[in-house]
Amino acid sequence: MKTKLAIILTVLLAGSLVAQSKLQTNPAGYHGEIDYPMSWKRYYGYEEWTRIMRDLQKKYPALSDIQSIGKSRMGRDQLLLTITAKATGKPEDKRAMWVDGAIHGNEVNGITCSLYLAWYLLTRYDYDPFVHGLVDTTTFYVLPGLNVDANDSYVSSPNTENNPREPYRPADDDGDGLFDEDQTEDVDGDGELSTMYIEDPAGEFKLSPDKRRFVRVADPREEVRRFRRVGDEGFDNDGDGFINEDDIGGPDPNRNFPYGWGVEAGYPYPMSEAETRNVFEFQLRHPNIFASFHYHNTGRLIMFQAPPAVKPPAGQTPEQAQRQQQAAQQRLEALKKADKYAYLAPRQVAPEYQHDLDVQSEIVSAGNRILKDYTPTIGGLSGQAHAATYYMLGAYSYLIELWGSPDFEADIDGDGEVSDEEFMKWVDLELMGEGWVTPHKAKHPDLGEVWIGGTSRKHINRTPPARYIETEALRNANFVMYAVSQFPKVEFGEAKVTPATDDLYWVEVEVKNDRAYPTSSDRAVALKRAAMDKITVSGAGGLEIVELPNAATVVDALNRTAQSEAVSAKGTEFRLKGHETKRFCALVKMSGAEGSVEFTVRSKAGGTAVRKITLKAE
Amino acid sequence: MTSFRHNEFFKRFGLSVLAVALTALAAGAAQKVPITFDDYHGYPATVKYLKDVAAAYPQITALLEIGQSTMGRPIYVLVVSNMKTGTTVDAQVPLRNPRAEGVKNVTPMKPYMGKAGHWICGATHGNEYTGTEVCLYAIDKLVTGYGADKETTTLVDAKTFYICPIVNPDGVFNSLDKGISQRQNSMLRDDDGDGRINEDGPDDLDGDGLIARFRYKDPKGAFVVDDVDLRLMVRVPPNEKTEKERWSVVVEDRDDDGDGRRGEDPEAGIDLNRNFPEGWWNDQGFAGGSGDYPTSAPESRAVAEFFVTHPNIFMAQFYHTSGGFTFRPLGTAPHTRLHPQDVAVLDFVMGKKYLETIGEDVPAAWKNPAAIPALREELRKTSKNKYAIERGYELPRGWKVSYDELNDRRYGFGMTSDWDFLQLGIWSITTELWNPAKDIPGLPRIAGAEGVEGDDERPEARLALDRALLKFQDEKYGGKLFLNWKPFKHPELGEGEIGGWIPRYSSNAWPGEPLAGVCDKHYRFEIFRAGLLPDVVITEAKARLLYTSESAREATAVAAGGEVRIKKGGAKGKYRIVEVTAVVENKGPLATHTARGSTLRGNREDVVWLVGDRDKVTFLQGTPYQRLGVLDGAMKIPGPGGGGEGGGMRTAAPGAPAEEAMAPPPQFRRRGGPPGPAQVRQGGARREVRWLVAVEGDSPLKIVVSSQKGGTRVQDVKVR
Repeated sequence: MKTKLAIILTVLLAGSLVAQSKLQTNPAGYHGEIDYPMSWKRYYGYEEWTRIMRDLQKKYPALSDIQSIGKSRMGRDQLLLTITAKATGKPEDKRAMWVDGAIHGNEVNGITCSLYLAWYLLTRYDYDPFVHGLVDTTTFYVLPGLNVDANDSYVSSPNTENNPREPYRPADDDGDGLFDEDQTEDVDGDGELSTMYIEDPAGEFKLSPDKRRFVRVADPREEVRRFRRVGDEGFDNDGDGFINEDDIGGPDPNRNFPYGWGVEAGYPYPMSEAETRNVFEFQLRHPNIFASFHYHNTGRLIMFQAPPAVKPPAGQTPEQAQRQQQAAQQRLEALKKADKYAYLAPRQVAPEYQHDLDVQSEIVSAGNRILKDYTPTIGGLSGQAHAATYYMLGAYSYLIELWGSPDFEADIDGDGEVSDEEFMKWVDLELMGEGWVTPHKAKHPDLGEVWIGGTSRKHINRTPPARYIETEALRNANFVMYAVSQFPKVEFGEAKVTPATDDLYWVEVEVKNDRAYPTSSDRAVALKRAAMDKITVSGAGGLEIVELPNAATVVDALNRTAQSEAVSAKGTEFRLKGHETKRFCALVKMSGAEGSVEFTVRSKAGGTAVRKITLKAE
Repeated sequence: MTSFRHNEFFKRFGLSVLAVALTALAAGAAQKVPITFDDYHGYPATVKYLKDVAAAYPQITALLEIGQSTMGRPIYVLVVSNMKTGTTVDAQVPLRNPRAEGVKNVTPMKPYMGKAGHWICGATHGNEYTGTEVCLYAIDKLVTGYGADKETTTLVDAKTFYICPIVNPDGVFNSLDKGISQRQNSMLRDDDGDGRINEDGPDDLDGDGLIARFRYKDPKGAFVVDDVDLRLMVRVPPNEKTEKERWSVVVEDRDDDGDGRRGEDPEAGIDLNRNFPEGWWNDQGFAGGSGDYPTSAPESRAVAEFFVTHPNIFMAQFYHTSGGFTFRPLGTAPHTRLHPQDVAVLDFVMGKKYLETIGEDVPAAWKNPAAIPALREELRKTSKNKYAIERGYELPRGWKVSYDELNDRRYGFGMTSDWDFLQLGIWSITTELWNPAKDIPGLPRIAGAEGVEGDDERPEARLALDRALLKFQDEKYGGKLFLNWKPFKHPELGEGEIGGWIPRYSSNAWPGEPLAGVCDKHYRFEIFRAGLLPDVVITEAKARLLYTSESAREATAVAAGGEVRIKKGGAKGKYRIVEVTAVVENKGPLATHTARGSTLRGNREDVVWLVGDRDKVTFLQGTPYQRLGVLDGAMKIPGPGGGGEGGGMRTAAPGAPAEEAMAPPPQFRRRGGPPGPAQVRQGGARREVRWLVAVEGDSPLKIVVSSQKGGTRVQDVKVR
C-alpha cells in the first residue's frame, strides 16, 4: 500500500541578500558616480593613482582592501585593490577576476581602464543591482599599474610614445659595454619629447607653408631650406656619435613569464623582474583566480588564450583539411546572420579541451559586441602573462590591446593609412590642436642648432588623447563585468520524487550551471589544479538515505532516458561545464510520518546551493 | 648535538691517527686563516671562514651576500681577485647631459668585473658538501698562494674567481648540523595538505644525536643481512627467492603528526638543480623540473641573478657528489644542440685534462683526432649510440653527459649547467666528486667498483666495495663512520635495530686524506680551466700627428686604400689631425665567446673605444667605439670542431649557428636609423683598428678595449 505524499520543496538560499535601501529597482536611477567624483579626462601618475586607490578603499572599507604585492626595482609599491562585499564572504573564498593594467610602462591607458573598473564597481555597488550581484559573489583583484617605475615616468616625465616600456633592469642595448647610458632627453625643456631636425642641404624635409610641420620635399630640384630628421629628442650622452641608442629598461616584462618562455625574447630568465614575479607569486597563492584581463595598447584586439592546437590527423589530405575549414567558415557565417559579432576560434583542439575553446568563443563574441571595432584573435605564448594564467594556473585569460588611434580616428579616406595631412586635420578638427608642437629652434650640445617639432606623440598616438579615455574605459569595464556575469553558478533545477517499493522512494534533483564558464577550466583539469564540485545528501526526521552499491548508480531509477547518478555516501564529485545540467538521485527510506532530504552542492567557483525536499505522509 | 660530537672526534682522531697531509701547508704559503680538512665545515664554520678570509685578505678578496635561503640564511660568494687591478668601460667613458629625471638604476661596475670570471660552487644539493670543501680548499690555495706562487699570483691578478661554497645553506645546515640528510632546499610548504607546515620530518628516535637507519624483520622487506659482514644490508629484489630472513630498512623516523604516515611533510623542499630555465618544461607543456616555475626558489634565483649581473663569468663548475666523474653539457637535450667547436673544447681540451687529472684513460680519438674518420667507421659496427658514431668516440666514464644517448632520452629538466651553457654561453660543467673505490689511499682496489652508485648498478662490485669500506673504516677510522646496529623498539614498527652508515659520511669524501686528495685534484683541474680564459689586451697603440688646422670642421680627411689624404686647411692651428691605430689581441687560449654564446642575446661583441675630451676631440673617421666581433683564442683547438685534422665532423647540423654569429643589437637593426658603429671584420685573435680625429691642443686620448668575457684594458696614447 502506498502512502500519499505531499511534496514540499523548500529552497534555502545560499548566501544572504542584504537589504539595500539605495539599491535601485529601475536601472535608470542614480548610480552613485558622484559619491566619489573622478575625472577620466586625464592620465594619472603613480602618486595620484595610488592616492585614488587608497581614498577609494577608505571610502568603501566594506567592499575593498588595499595591499602592496611587492616592490618594483626602484622601490615603488605595486598596489592592489581587492574588491568584494566582505559581508558575503572572505575575498579568498570567492572565485576571482584578476585585472592588471600597463605591464608595459608606456601603455598607461591600461591603468585608466583598470582603475575605472574599480571605481565603477565601488561607487555603484549600493545602487546598481547588476554590480551588486557581481561584487557579492566575486572577488576582483585590480592592479592598475603593474610596471610602476616606467608607468610613472611615462605620465610624469617627457617621453615618446614608446618609452619607457620595460622594468628598469639595466641593459646594454647597443652592445658597447655600457648600460642604459643614452636615454631620451627633453632638449628644449618644454616638457614634451618631440622630434629633432637639423638643417642639411641634402635633407629630405622642408617646413610646410604654414610652418607648423616638416613635410617631405617632393621635387628633388626644389630650391628650399632643407632639413634632415635626427630622431627623438635627446643628447649623445656617451659620446659614441649616436643619440638615444641605449634607453632605460631591460627585458620585455610580457616575455618574462614562464610559459612558452625563450631566452631570445625573454632574456635573462623567467620571472627575473620583481614587478612580474610579484604578480605571478600572488596569482600562484590565489587559486581562486578564475579569469584574468591584461591591458595593453594598441590595435583594438581581444586576444584570448586558447587550448593547444592539435596537429591534423595523420593521413588527412589537403582537400579534407580544406573541407573542414570551409565547414567551420559556414558555421560562422550562419551564426553571423543572427549576430554580426559572432566569433568562432579558428583552432582544432583535443576533445578534452573543446569546452575551453567553446567557452572562449562565446565570451569573445559578446566582448566583440560590447567593445565594437575590436578584433578577436588567439593570443601567443612566448612568456606572456596571459599565457601563464591560462596554461599554468588554468584561468581563462584575455589580453586587450586598447585603442587604435589615430588609424581608426584620422583615416578619413579609408585607405588604411593616416597621411600627414589626415593626421594634422584630425589634430585640428577633433583635438583642437592638442598634442602638437610647432617647430622651433633649440640649442643642442652635440649637434649645434636643431629644430624641434611635430606631434607630441605620447599624448595622441599609442595612448588616446585624454578626451577619449572614458568611452573606452567604460566599454572595457563592461566587458570585464560581462565575463564575471558568466562565471559559473551552481543551482538546483527541477526536483522529483518517485516511489520505488514499499517505503522506499527515489528523490532526484537537477544541478545546473546556466552560465558560459564551467566550474573549472579544461586546462585546470589537465593541470590537476581543478577543484571538483561535490554533491552530498542527508536525511532528517523520518527519512534515511539508503546506501547503494556502486553498481546501482547506473540504474535508470526513474525510468527516464537521462542519466541520473546516485549520490554516494561520502558525496559525489563532478564538474559542471558551462550551460550544463546534471541529475543526481538518492534512494530514501521513510519510517515516520515526515522527513526531509537535503542535497548540498559545493563548488569552489560556482558557489554553494542547497535543496531541501520534505516528504510528508498524508 | 651531532656536529659537536663528530667535530671533536675528528679533531682528536683525525690529527693524531690519520696524520692528514694537508697540501695547503705547502712551503712558502703562510695561512693567515688556518683551515684543515679533517671534517666537513658545514654552514656556520664555512661562513666564519669566509668572513675571516675576507678580513685577512682585503686586497684580493671581497665577500658578497648574493641572496638568502628560505630560512633566511645568507648565500655568500667570495670574490678572489686583485682588487687594485682591473677596470670596466663605465669607469673609462664619461657620460654627460643625463636625463633630468635622474633615475639611478645602474650600479657602477666593480673593477673585478673587467676581468674574465670563473665561478666555482658547491652544495647545490644540501647533502653533497664535498664540493663545499673543494671550494674552501680553492680559496685557501688562492689566498695563500698569492704572492708566494707565480701561477697563482698571475691568476689572481688577471682573473676573477667567484667562489660560492654553499648554494643551499638550509640543506647543508640540516644535513650536517641537524643530521637530517637533505638534498633539497628548505620550503615552508604544507606537503601533505593537512594545514600544517613541515610537521613530519625524520627523527632521532634513540637520542644519540644521529638520524641513521632503522631495520626490522619483515617478510616483504627488500634486504637481507650480508654473509660476510653481518652489519651490511644487501638488497634482494622482492620476487627473488632467498633462504635468508628478509628485512626492511627505513630512515630513523616516526609518525610525528599521527596521520599514519612517516616523514610525509619534512622541511625539505625542491631540488635546486631542477629549478633552472633550460629544459624545465616537459614535451607536453607541463612542468618537468622542480618548483612552481624556473628560478622559483630563492637559492636558484640568487644564482641566476648573480650570473646575469656578472656577465664576465665564462667558466663555471657546479660540484655535486658522487661518482668521481664530470657531466659536461648536455643533460636535457641531445648532443646535436652543441656546436662542434664547443664540443672540441669540452672534450679534447677540458675532458682530456680531467681524465689525466683523475687518472683515467683518454679516448684514442682525443689523443689523435686525425684517426676519427676511421674510428667512426669502427663505431658504426660496434656501437648502438648514434651520437657516439657521429662524434667518432664514446664518452668515457670520467667525462660524460647525463643525456641518455642510447635511448635518446633526456636525463632531467631544468638543470643548472645546461642553463649556463645554453642560455648564457658559459663553459659550465658539473663534477660529481668522490669515487670511494679510487679516492681512498690504501683501500684495496676492487675491479669494476669505480663510481658505483645506487643499489642496482653492479651489485657485486658495490657489495665488495661496501665490505672493503666497512673494514677500512674499522681499521683506519676507528669504526666511527658506521653505527653498529643496536636494538630499538619503534613506536609504530615495533622491535628492530638502529644503525648503518652514518649519513654524514656516506656519499661524501671521507674526511682527512681522502677529502684533501679530492680537493687537491679538483682544484688543480679548475686552475687549468682558469688558465684557458681569454685575455684581451692592447698590444700596440699609436697616435700619429698628420697635420694641424684652425678648426675641427675645416679639416676633412678621406681615407682611400689605406692612405690618408688631407684635403684642406692651413699649415698651423690649434687643431691637430691625428691618426690613431691600435692592435688588440686575445692572448688567452680560448675565444672570447663559446660558439653557442656568440649567438645569445645577453652577450655582446668585443669592442674598442677611443676616448677623449668630447669638447676637444672630433671624430673624422671611425666611430668612437668599434665592434670587433669575437676574438679567437691563442690556442689551436685540436680535433675536427676546432678546424684541425680530421675535419668534417658535422658541418650543417640543424641549429648550428651561422658564420656571422654576433648579430648587431636591435638599435642598429632598425630600418632607416643611423648607420651603426664601425664593424671591424677581421678573423683570428687579432684586430687592427684605426681612427682619424681632430684634437684641440694637447687634449689626451686613451684606448679602451672591452671584452665581456675577456676583460677590459685601457691604454693612454701619446701623439707623436
